[in-house]
Amino acid sequence: MRASVNRPPTPDVGDTQEKQPTLEEIINIKFIESGEKERLMELLRERLIECGWKDEMKALCRAFVKKKGRNNVTVDDLVHLITPKGRASIPDSIKAELLQRIRTFLVSAAL
Amino acid sequence: MTTGNPSYTSPKPCKHLADYKLSHGLSGYNYLQKYLKTTPPGRTSVEKPDIKIPRCISCDGIQGRLYFCLICSSVSCLDHTLLHTQSENGHDVAVDIERAELYCCVCCDQVYDPDFDRAVMSKQIMGIPRGKNGDESIGERLVKRRRLGSGLGQELVDLKISKHLISLRDRRAKSCYPLGLRGLNNLGSTCFMNSVLQALLHAPPFRNYFLSEGHNQENCRKRSVDRLCLACDIDVIFSAAFSGDRAPYSPAQFLYSWWQHSANLASNEQQDAHEFFISVLDGIHEKEGKSRNQSRDNGDCQCIAHRVFSGLLRSDVTCMTCGFTSTTFDPCVDVSLDLDTSNFPPTNIANKPIKPDGNSSMSTLLGCLDLFTRQEKLGSDPKLYCQNCQERRDSVKQMSIKRLPLVLCLHIKRFEHSSVRRMSRKIDRYLHFPFSLDMTPYLSSSIVRNRFGNRIFAFEGDESDISTEFEIFAVVTHAGTLESGHYVTYLRLRNQWYKCDDAWINEVDEAMVRASQCYMMFYVQKMLYHKANEDLSYLPISPLRDTFIPIPGCC
Repeated sequence: MRASVNRPPTPDVGDTQEKQPTLEEIINIKFIESGEKERLMELLRERLIECGWKDEMKALCRAFVKKKGRNNVTVDDLVHLITPKGRASIPDSIKAELLQRIRTFLVSAAL
Repeated sequence: MTTGNPSYTSPKPCKHLADYKLSHGLSGYNYLQKYLKTTPPGRTSVEKPDIKIPRCISCDGIQGRLYFCLICSSVSCLDHTLLHTQSENGHDVAVDIERAELYCCVCCDQVYDPDFDRAVMSKQIMGIPRGKNGDESIGERLVKRRRLGSGLGQELVDLKISKHLISLRDRRAKSCYPLGLRGLNNLGSTCFMNSVLQALLHAPPFRNYFLSEGHNQENCRKRSVDRLCLACDIDVIFSAAFSGDRAPYSPAQFLYSWWQHSANLASNEQQDAHEFFISVLDGIHEKEGKSRNQSRDNGDCQCIAHRVFSGLLRSDVTCMTCGFTSTTFDPCVDVSLDLDTSNFPPTNIANKPIKPDGNSSMSTLLGCLDLFTRQEKLGSDPKLYCQNCQERRDSVKQMSIKRLPLVLCLHIKRFEHSSVRRMSRKIDRYLHFPFSLDMTPYLSSSIVRNRFGNRIFAFEGDESDISTEFEIFAVVTHAGTLESGHYVTYLRLRNQWYKCDDAWINEVDEAMVRASQCYMMFYVQKMLYHKANEDLSYLPISPLRDTFIPIPGCC
């Protein structure tokens, strides 16, 4: 059983209602409303395919499924397997490109 | 169910999904429909109109995967979804918000249900604006009768006739080489012609047609006034090749006819084998297409060239703004592939040492096919006009194969023309190709399905009974430069490879073929390949291998 599952199910009620949205949340809403988030996601998908990252992740998953047998693997197992490796192996150039796009958007949105 | 082989299988639903459906039926799916939102490229997500950003009701988190409970419509992050299932009895099945895919919280795994996918897809298809040719768009279940099936039957009849003929002729053969292997003399830079002719001579359905008198020279002469007939000349070459005579043959009459047919290529210069291939099929079609009943049902040509080599390509252009897709279908006799050079050196990927195996930097045929069917952004100067938006928009194009031919000719674009530098060059890159090829991932049904996520949903054409497995039987290779070089064909007969270098024919081993620089590859449907091998038993007269002598010839 995963440790995080044992977290208390009930949040602290009351203080969430009146809270002002944080800057992060405002930015997030702007990104979603303008459709920029969707565009960035599409760009990221494209870049990750181009650089071979997707194929690499696919290969990792395939190897794992082969090792465990195809009936003994769940999506969650795969997510847990590739999340650390996937995060670590994204090329810096792609991170830089996305960061640049985010910056440009923030400037243009005049936040 | 369908008798064909749909390109997906329905996995057994887990116990929790089955329980859910038993007690709630499809009402949850139908309820969810109004929350579905589809982006132009075809991705579907769940969106509640009253909430701008979906958040976990328990921890307010927005990170990671969020799930929508099908019982109580609450949204939770993965951890809280699992807790939710523990505390609320029966709330087992949820929907991944970002992907609109089913998730079983007890099994901790993605689950699949055709009914769910149908609910998602029907909403999605209604949402996508359609072209006028509604009958061709996805989701329509009007599966046209595959004519290819009947074509295959015809081939098998042809095969039976030719089998009989070959078994008669076989006894005359004095060599241990399979019948039909005969060197072709070089008539002055005609290796481009010889290499393609060798492949044509051994393309099983094509060969069966000619050997079973599919094209009768006498009848042909009676029917038409002009003497020029490429099919007759091919028939002559077939007769010569399968006569049992092993001395190299000079296809001079054929060359002359071809020159008459393609006057612009008539010279003693070197030509492109691929261009020659196209022009020969064209020549046969011109003659044969006229005499045969042209359009049996939907206008597909019944001539032997097109019956054997013709497939159908599908090209989808999707507007990135509204999702409108315009689809066109183009017949083709071969598929031209760009050489996949996209393999970056592994150092490009951060924090990763260079892999020692070097496997990642090798081009493969499958890579080329992936590249061919990959979505491609169309140039933004000028942008393409979208019929639906009535404006110029960003769009993506994606190719796929709608219908596979009996014999699949794959052509690798090794000759590159750069309009910027105003020069052409040849790419000498090695390309790995498999001997057995499964084309399923490149079919329109697979390509279109992939666009919509992980769905179990019957698309048009899924039920077709076309075999997608191919076996290689000929490889045309090119050595040299753009201006001058040499073509050699490797033929695979009864699992043995033979090198056909103009007049010389040699037995070679697999490794040599694999190491060659392939230019055109000929694959035949697996069933036809094996049939040809079983039935046309060219039994070697001498069982001893070392008695093989290369056939000499003059060049």
